[in-house]
Amino acid sequence: MMSRAHADSVPADSGVNAEQAQIVPTLRVRGVSKTYDDRGPALAETSIDVAPGEFIALVGPSGCGKSTLLSMIAGLLKPDTGAIELEGEVVTGPGGPRAMVFQDAALMPWLTVRHNVEYGMRAQGTPKAERRSRAMDALAMVHLDSVPDRHPHELSGGMRQRVAIARALVLRPRLLLMDEPFSALDAQTRTVLHDELQRIWIETRPAVVFVTHNLMEAAFLADTVYLLSRGPGRIVQRYRVEVPRPRDETDSRLAGIRNDMLSRMRVESENVAAAGSNVPPPPMRGLIE
Amino acid sequence: MTTQAATAGTRATGLARRLGLGFLRKTWLVALLLGIWWLVTSAGWVASYKLPPPGAVVQSIKDGFFGDAQIGSAVVDTFIRLLEGWSVGVVAAIALGISTAAVPFLEDGIRPVLAGLQAVPTIAFLPLAILWFGFGPSAVLAITMFGTFKPMVLATYAAVHQVSPTLRLAGKAMGAKGFFYQRTLILPATVPSLVTGLRLSWAFAWRSLMAAELIVGGTPGLGQVLELGREINAIDLVVAVIVIIALIGIVVEQIVFTRFERWVRHRWGLAQPV
Repeated sequence: MMSRAHADSVPADSGVNAEQAQIVPTLRVRGVSKTYDDRGPALAETSIDVAPGEFIALVGPSGCGKSTLLSMIAGLLKPDTGAIELEGEVVTGPGGPRAMVFQDAALMPWLTVRHNVEYGMRAQGTPKAERRSRAMDALAMVHLDSVPDRHPHELSGGMRQRVAIARALVLRPRLLLMDEPFSALDAQTRTVLHDELQRIWIETRPAVVFVTHNLMEAAFLADTVYLLSRGPGRIVQRYRVEVPRPRDETDSRLAGIRNDMLSRMRVESENVAAAGSNVPPPPMRGLIE
Repeated sequence: MTTQAATAGTRATGLARRLGLGFLRKTWLVALLLGIWWLVTSAGWVASYKLPPPGAVVQSIKDGFFGDAQIGSAVVDTFIRLLEGWSVGVVAAIALGISTAAVPFLEDGIRPVLAGLQAVPTIAFLPLAILWFGFGPSAVLAITMFGTFKPMVLATYAAVHQVSPTLRLAGKAMGAKGFFYQRTLILPATVPSLVTGLRLSWAFAWRSLMAAELIVGGTPGLGQVLELGREINAIDLVVAVIVIIALIGIVVEQIVFTRFERWVRHRWGLAQPV
């Protein structure tokens, strides 16, 4: 797994990876598709397996269905076809061993940082003393244990997103879902949070589904990157990123993988553009190179 | 040095504005109206049985509080009735609004009924209230609650619809559901928008209460004092009650609602209104 080999690309349609066949995947997405009544098809039939502790990224331009797929994995949206299995059981709603981080931190402005982190445990009926100590541990992990009594509006955007990460991790999820969590932050804050997330993931090792339109971010963070295209959304390529961890964002191998993905993306956007007049504007939009 | 002087200067101007100019800006029209009132009455341009001079009104407020006209106890009676009716109406409205907003089928059914009821002045329900609760304070209280309830439910619906979809998803993704979800996520998330509804329903509560007190005799309160003033031709008493109601309104607005809104906007991290 941790070989020094460059990323290789394999066809996307092979649902189960040979090396993972014997273990029950944390997440199994089987032939899932979604069509919205008002906007038409969002996601064509898609299959993905995520092994325990595997970090995958879904990358693609706006409208490629990556957020739709994530909402379905979270149990917040029902797929039209297919099924989503979490540790072997079909998902019917939110909750369970999943936690989610959103693009805007989506904290509760009336609660302090610590109470925000405790909220999920309150919903699940965890005793008060345990809630408190686990919340402080989670805040320490994101370096915010010095400000537990502040309110979200007293924090910077990066700090708010750290609280959101702590709020998810405190539930000890075996599957962490992240919907473009860093895309609203400035470049420097984003880089710092990339390193932090990598460290936290190495320490806690949940399986992660990370949605982004930033190719470099995907290459840096993920074990496996799924490249999606639109009209309707589908997986066009899968990349294994076999650069050992901890990784460095300046690593030239990552840049190489990013470039591969970018070229693939360009070909794909030309294909989509050629496919027909009913396909809306350039798919490249929203893609950070 | 210059910066320091400039800062001191700004601070001084700021202070002057807050103490003097600000006060002046908010009171000049009141002072002008008082002046005109005093002028037209003391010059004899308006007969004193139609409009009493300011002095007579002040005197009757004084007598009322410290003498025998019992305005003081009437103010207390009315204010307590107002608080009771308003708070019960508000709590019932928020509870009904939030619980039914969670079920679109219920909200869609309730909305047109409320819109219809809201179109009818609350006081039109007084005969019914008297029939059900008797000719006395109970009917007045019921009317006050109802007058509060109607606009407050509609305000609660509006507030629930303003709760951010991502916040809802975040709560659900953490496993919040049912009553816990409504109580710990939806209710607090609606608070900033509910403030407007609280103000509005307070105004409606006053209106229905005064109308009901005027009609239902034998209910101790400001309405009774107004009615007494009309019967004995004590126009200064009538104007005194109007002035008292206006003063209560100003105090409640400035001290309670404005402060509460400021606190809410601060706590919820929203911009302060200019």
